[in-house]
Amino acid sequence: MKNILDRNQNKAGEVRNLLVAKKVLMVNLISSPGAGKTTLLERTCEELNKKFRIGIIEGDITTDRDAQRLKKYNIPIVVINTEGGCHLDSHSISKVLDSFDLDDLDVLFVENVGNLICPSQFDLGETFKLAIVSTTEGDDKPGKYPMLFREAKAVLLNKIDLIPYTNFKRETFNSDLKNINGQVPLFEISCTRGNGLKEWIKWISKQILSTSSTEV
Amino acid sequence: MHEIRIAEDLSAIVLETAKREKLSKVTKVNISFGVLVQIVPDIFIFAFSETVRNTIAQDAEVNIEIVSVKMICKKCGNDFGVEENRFVCANCRSTDLEIIHGKELFIKSIEGE
Repeated sequence: MKNILDRNQNKAGEVRNLLVAKKVLMVNLISSPGAGKTTLLERTCEELNKKFRIGIIEGDITTDRDAQRLKKYNIPIVVINTEGGCHLDSHSISKVLDSFDLDDLDVLFVENVGNLICPSQFDLGETFKLAIVSTTEGDDKPGKYPMLFREAKAVLLNKIDLIPYTNFKRETFNSDLKNINGQVPLFEISCTRGNGLKEWIKWISKQILSTSSTEV
Repeated sequence: MHEIRIAEDLSAIVLETAKREKLSKVTKVNISFGVLVQIVPDIFIFAFSETVRNTIAQDAEVNIEIVSVKMICKKCGNDFGVEENRFVCANCRSTDLEIIHGKELFIKSIEGE
């Protein structure tokens, strides 16, 4: 039996091998539109910019607005416009990797197109996927989109400062997530207020360090 | 919306295979999708019919088998079906599991003449 997405899978394998050889951690950020991927990247760059060499691939349907917001950190950023496409794929990633000096990078964040279903089906060659979900979207997201929450190496719950203004129930979210992926670390954060960011930064720093120190 | 891209990749494989096997017409495409892939069969069939329009596969019937989720527990070796997204071992309650079915995006066979 042949996998329909073989072509994507094969290219993703090439990307992964290259990144392993260059000791670059690639993180595929997946969330709905407006969950806070770009704001998370802003906070993350502020904290990590001095310690690590960061690169960003911005998947954007038509604009470069997210990339504009990240320009201030003076890090290499490449935009991929999907022209309406709802996800990135390994071929588009492979093409833009040439724009980076991989010998001069520790971590490459890929901001996927805002969508919870499609991006989780397409392997980009990333080291791991990260699921970001915000409290204003409701507490039912893990149950509705099990594939993403199952595959993610960590889950970030953003906008926890807004919980009092929503009907978001922590118990529902946590128990659904536990049923789907009982082992995944969960970070409760607020990118605008700063809650929980310290733990997230500590965790991601550890991931970057373990990639850059692996024997190839 | 990932149905469109997956339909495009499928039609490319179908047409390549048909050419290699020197078919003049593709009559049936048998595929299986895991539940976790969250493909809507009607949208997929519509997308596929669009991507093979004016080709030798334009009249092909698409047969979709939906595969339910099955996991194996890495702790006790129990394999079990998953219902309602409860990915917890039914035997030992462990969450250290591996998905063995439910992520399929497979072409089983292509029929033609």
